[in-house]
Amino acid sequence: MDPVVQFQNVTKAYGQAVAVDDLNLTIQAGKFVTLLGPSGCGKSTTLRMLGGFEIPNSGRILLAGKDVTRLPPNKRNVNIVFQDYALFPHMNVARNIAFGLELKGLDSSAIHKRVMELLALVQLQDYAARMPSELSGGQRQRVALMRALAPDPQVLLLDEPLSALDAKLRQQMQIELKSIQERTGKTFLFVTHDQEEALTMSDQIVVMNNGKVEQMGDPHTLYSRPQSVFVANFIGDANLLRAKVVGADAQGTALTWNGRQVGALPSAHAMKQGDSVLIVVRPEALRFLSVPSGEGFAGKIRKRVFKGNHTSMTIEVDDGSQLNALVHPGESEAISGEDVWLGWNPRAATVIRDESAAG
Amino acid sequence: MRTMLADAPRTALTMAYWGFVLYLFLPLTLMMAMSFKNAAFIAFPIGDWTFDWYLKVMQDKPFLEACAYSVLVAGLTTLAATVIGVWIAMLIATTEGRWGAVLFALACLPAVVPGMISAISLRIFISTIDMPTGTSAIVLGHTVHAVPFVVVMALTRLRSMPANLVDAARDLGADSVVAFFRVTLPYLGPAIGGGMIFCILLSIDDFVRTFFLGGYRPTLPMLIFAKVQGGMSPEINAMATLVLLVTGAVGLYAEYYTRRSRSR
Ligand SMILES: Nc1ncnc2c1ncn2[C@@H]1O[C@H](COP(=O)(O)OP(=O)(O)OP(=O)(O)O)[C@@H](O)[C@H]1O
Ligand SMILES: [Mg+2]
Repeated sequence: MDPVVQFQNVTKAYGQAVAVDDLNLTIQAGKFVTLLGPSGCGKSTTLRMLGGFEIPNSGRILLAGKDVTRLPPNKRNVNIVFQDYALFPHMNVARNIAFGLELKGLDSSAIHKRVMELLALVQLQDYAARMPSELSGGQRQRVALMRALAPDPQVLLLDEPLSALDAKLRQQMQIELKSIQERTGKTFLFVTHDQEEALTMSDQIVVMNNGKVEQMGDPHTLYSRPQSVFVANFIGDANLLRAKVVGADAQGTALTWNGRQVGALPSAHAMKQGDSVLIVVRPEALRFLSVPSGEGFAGKIRKRVFKGNHTSMTIEVDDGSQLNALVHPGESEAISGEDVWLGWNPRAATVIRDESAAG
Repeated sequence: MRTMLADAPRTALTMAYWGFVLYLFLPLTLMMAMSFKNAAFIAFPIGDWTFDWYLKVMQDKPFLEACAYSVLVAGLTTLAATVIGVWIAMLIATTEGRWGAVLFALACLPAVVPGMISAISLRIFISTIDMPTGTSAIVLGHTVHAVPFVVVMALTRLRSMPANLVDAARDLGADSVVAFFRVTLPYLGPAIGGGMIFCILLSIDDFVRTFFLGGYRPTLPMLIFAKVQGGMSPEINAMATLVLLVTGAVGLYAEYYTRRSRSR
C-alpha cells in the first residue's frame, strides 16, 4: 500500500507557542485514520496544514508523493468537513454540494447526476432544494460531508464534525460515517478528542500530545499495548503498578512488584535489569481467584459500585495502592470490606517505562 | 386613585409622544393638502380642490429633467459608493488590531463632517485639480458622503459572517476572487441592498454639496429651491408631495427588505 499523506518533520509555531512539533506521520490510502488527543495538542493545526490553511514553519507535507507544503487550499485535492459545517447559507443543499464540482468545470448534467448520487448515499434526495437553515443538525452534517466528498478528494479531512450533535445522533453518525468511508473507499483523516469515538470508527489511531505523535496503531493495539503513561491513561482506564525489572528474555519482561515476582510480560520497549517500569493492567483484566495461589495477590475491597451491565470495584492492595476492577455479573459477589485474592491475565497486561522514575 | 397617580407619568409620556407625531406630520399634511388647492397662492381656506397642479407638474419639462438628472446622479453615486464602501469594509475586516480601528475611524469621518464644510472643501479641491463643476463633481461629492454608510452596513454584516465560509469555498477549489464573488458578496447581499437604497436617498436629498459642486443642470432639490425663490405656489407643493411619496416608498421598502433578509 502506498502512503497518501506524509508529514516530514513538520513544525508549526504561533509566535512562541509551538502547536505542532517535528511531526512525522504517514497515512495509508483507503483507511479511516483518527488524530486523537487532548484539547490544544495540535490536531486542528495538523489538519489545517494539510488543507492548506496554515503553512508550516519547517518540514514538508506530501500528498500522493507530491510536495504540497506551500500550495494554497484550492490547489490541493483534499477537502475539509468543518466542525460547524460551514454550509453556504445562501445556497440550497444541491448548490452547496455542486459548488466544488462547478469549480472543477464539470458540465451541468454531470454535476446534477453526481449531486443526486451523493444525496442518495445519505438518504437526502428529497432535500435537494432545501436551504441549510431548514435542515436539522444531523442533516446539515450529512450535506457538509457530501459537499466535501463531491470533488472526489484524495483525503477527506474531518475536524470534530460530530461534536455539535447530541449523544444519540452522534453515535448514529459515527456508524454512518464509518460505513460511508467503507463504501467510498476514501481515506478519512478524522480529528477528535473523544477516545470512544476514535476506538469505534478508526482503522488507525494517531495519539497526539503537545504537538507530537505519542503512538500510532490500530485501536486494539493502542488499547492493549500502550507505550506510554499518556496513552495508557488517555485511551480507556488503566491501573499503573510500579515495578522493577529483574530480567528480560524472548518471552517478555520479568519483574518484581510489591515484593513478589511477576511473570514474563510483553513490554513496549527493550528493558534491562534494574529499570523502573509500570505495569499497565486494564480494570477488566483483573481476575478474582477463588483460592489463594502463587500467581495471585491479596487485596481488600474498598468500594463497590453497581453500573448495570458491570460492577466497578476499588481494591486496596497491601502496599497501599488502589486498583480499579471491572467485574462482570456472576464473576464475583464480594462485598465492600471483604478480603479477596486477585490475579491478572498476563497477556492482557503490558510493561511501559516509568518516565517519572527515569527522571 | 393610586393607579391613576401611578399612571400619570405614563399618560404624560403618551401625550408628549402624540404631540410630537402631530408636530412631525402637520407641516407635511399641510403641504400635501395645499397641493390640491385650486388657486395660485397658498393660504386657507382651500376652497376648490383640484388635481391640476399634478397634471401641470407631470408635464413640466424642467421638473422631469431635474428628476431624471437626480436619478442619474443618485445611480452613479450609488454605484461608486457601493464598490468603494464594500472594498473598504473588506479591508477593515481583514486588518487586525489597532490599524483596523484607525481605518474604520477614517472611513466614518465623511459622515460626521458638516455638509457645509464638506461642500466648500470639495469645491476648493475640484478647482485646484481643474475639475469642472457638474455631474462628475456632484457624484464625487455625494460619493464621499455616502461611502461611510455603506462601510458601516457592510462591515456589520461581515463581522457576523462565520470565518470558515470563505475557508470552505477555498477548500472546494475557489481562488480568493471566486470566493469573494460567490460566497462573501452574496452573504453581504442584504447589507449591500440596504446600503444602496441609503445611498440613493442621501444623494437625492443632498442640497448643499450639489449647490456648491453643480453646474447649470439642476437636480430636484436645486430646482425646487429655485422655484421657491420665485414665490410659493401649490405647484411646488405638488412637486414636493411627489418627491415625498416616492422617497418614502423607497425608504419603507428598504426597511422591509432589510428586516426580511435579517430574519433569514
Ligand atoms: N491562530 C492561532 N494563533 C495562535 N495560537 C494558535 C492558533 N491556532 C492554534 N493555536 C495554538 O496552537 C495549539 C494547538 O491548537 P489546535 O487548534 O491545533 O489544537 P487542537 O488539538 O485542535 O485542540 P482542540 O481539541 O481544542 O480543538 C494551541 O495551544 C492553540 O492555542
Ligand atoms: Mg481543534
